[in-house]
Amino acid sequence: MLSKRTVIGLLTAALLSIPATVQGAEKVRVGYSISRTGLYAVATPVQQQTYELWRDQINAAGGLSIGGKGKRQIEFVSYDDQSEPSKAAQIYEKLISSDKVDLLLSPWGTATHIAVAPVVERHKFPLIGSTASTTLVRDLGAKYMWFTEVTPADFGGDLPKLLGSIGIKRVAIIAMQLPLALETKKFLVPALHQAGIEIVFDQEYPPDIKDMTGLLTSVKGAAPDGVIALSYPNDSMLYLSTAREVGLTAKFQFLEIGPTEAFIQHKFGENLDGIVTIGHWSPDQKAWPKARPFYDAYKARFNEAPDNLDSVVSYMSAEILQQAVEKVGLNHEKIREAIATGTFDTINGLVRFKGATNVGTPNGYLQIQKGVPQIIWPDQIKTADFQPKGPWK
Amino acid sequence: MRPLHDVRIIIAALVTTAAVVVGVLFFASDYFIDFATSLAMWIALSESWTLLSGMTGYVSLGHVVFFGLGGYLTVLTFGMLPIWAALALSGACATGLAVLVGFPCFRVRGPYFVILTFGLSEFVKYIVVNVEARASKFGRLIFGGPDPNEVFLIMVGLAVAAFFLSYFIRRSRLGAGLRGIREDEIAAETTGVPVARLKLIAFGLSALIPGIAGGAFLFRSGYFEPIQAFNPSISFSMITMAVIGGTDDAYGPLIGAVALVTLSELLWANAPEIYMTVLGLLLVVFVIWVPDGIEGRLRNWWKTQRA
Repeated sequence: MLSKRTVIGLLTAALLSIPATVQGAEKVRVGYSISRTGLYAVATPVQQQTYELWRDQINAAGGLSIGGKGKRQIEFVSYDDQSEPSKAAQIYEKLISSDKVDLLLSPWGTATHIAVAPVVERHKFPLIGSTASTTLVRDLGAKYMWFTEVTPADFGGDLPKLLGSIGIKRVAIIAMQLPLALETKKFLVPALHQAGIEIVFDQEYPPDIKDMTGLLTSVKGAAPDGVIALSYPNDSMLYLSTAREVGLTAKFQFLEIGPTEAFIQHKFGENLDGIVTIGHWSPDQKAWPKARPFYDAYKARFNEAPDNLDSVVSYMSAEILQQAVEKVGLNHEKIREAIATGTFDTINGLVRFKGATNVGTPNGYLQIQKGVPQIIWPDQIKTADFQPKGPWK
Repeated sequence: MRPLHDVRIIIAALVTTAAVVVGVLFFASDYFIDFATSLAMWIALSESWTLLSGMTGYVSLGHVVFFGLGGYLTVLTFGMLPIWAALALSGACATGLAVLVGFPCFRVRGPYFVILTFGLSEFVKYIVVNVEARASKFGRLIFGGPDPNEVFLIMVGLAVAAFFLSYFIRRSRLGAGLRGIREDEIAAETTGVPVARLKLIAFGLSALIPGIAGGAFLFRSGYFEPIQAFNPSISFSMITMAVIGGTDDAYGPLIGAVALVTLSELLWANAPEIYMTVLGLLLVVFVIWVPDGIEGRLRNWWKTQRA
């Protein structure tokens, strides 16, 4: 039996919710899935914060312009995919066919993006990918999915050029058995051979690796002058603590995903200095006028610097979506056309797509120097020179 | 009386299923079809699991291996084989694998068998992970598989097949033999039950449908990645559904799958943490207080009502 108070409470709540729904009808609903729990959860807050910053900036400016005919406030619909790509696919299915959202933003991570690709293709719903990099979707001729991040063919294939330019001759490769790392390796190894750089050690490890002592001791034994760890955030942390313990002193040490993440910077501080990673953005690069304002807005809002990789590619995907909708409205076929053929002004310069691939943004590498990620390659966009990794502290 | 009773049940079940399927295809949203596909898949999987584990008492903790293998074979042959052939191949290879590993596995019993099946599925998972890595594959993706409605029909077909397979085996000579193994294997063997052969048959049959379902699931997801496809939590879910529903008759896993898939659907979107907690809690409660599952309780209640 419900008490009188409960009934009154429920009625009041119901009445109060009516104005909210009426207002909600006018909002543009933007759906996405993100890993709030599970293996990737440590890495996803930056992406979520970037989306929130974007939404709030647009809403503060009156809303998202719909094909130049008036503005509407943005409302997010999001779910936790528990770091399971199959769950993410289910969520996008729900967002599209049950929640009937107007637009989509991308989830975190390459495996998750790949799992979602068949869903958006089937529903012909445009989705601009961000924190993911693969040639798989491109090679299947996807029509409704694009990636703001450059491909593994670029950052795998270009790495030997960076290595050559700083005199690295012998490298050790360790790679996690997840799509991004394996795909990078596929492009990296032939390029190393071609550049005449010797691979003195090469081993893969499972995603849930808990101890790297044996692995990194063997790496040390092979005496490379460069270590290339094709890693994800969790194992990047494991690498940093273990490399310090076993005293790995190669002057070039590369971690694929993680060093740009604020939580890793907080945790490892000075020990992160000298680590190289993928990334092609810095607020200090004057060629991109929108870069510094984004950095400042993010920092003011969240009291930490944005992730030079994940925040950037996520924000770019939102900017592109925003510019496409401004131009053509909410019709998905028109949005697809606009994204496929347009050029977009983003915080990382001009973006345009060839198939699923962003051909506007150059590939680059970052090195953490005195706690700040600097672009060290290629010369056209670099903000600092490479420095050999100093001793662990 | 008995055969007539059976025929009536079968006809009623088939007519109801057909009506539901037609209703879903004509009136339900895409999202509901997706949910119904998932429900049918879990019914098929947990029914298949009880074929071995419910009937013989040999608890398999690695049934995902057949599901993953089916998915892997289907993605490998995509574009080369017609859908039916890919699914048939998946089912046949899953059965083959079960029979092959059945020889060594059935030498051990109790906790050793449980650990062995779990180890086997992890072993196969990492073989596939390494083979894929060697082949420079980083997940496989297919566009242009069969239509979701078609996959839904395949899954319903598998659920119906698994249900009846389970239903009839329980009422057959084979079923009586398997129950004998569960109650007392040595006694069964002494009285002339060919235990080794029966166990292999049960294992093979219980692998068949998960293999096909793995292939059909791949058509639905369009994506294969070994860590996901061989995820042990798929085995755990099959078991949980069967235990909660009851493992002693074909209705049990059906009830368990409907209950848990619906519960998951209600909770996953907004409270995934609660879902896992509730699942754990339910499992503990059922194992301790309701070991015969919902179906067992209902059956007992029905008997006392009539008595």
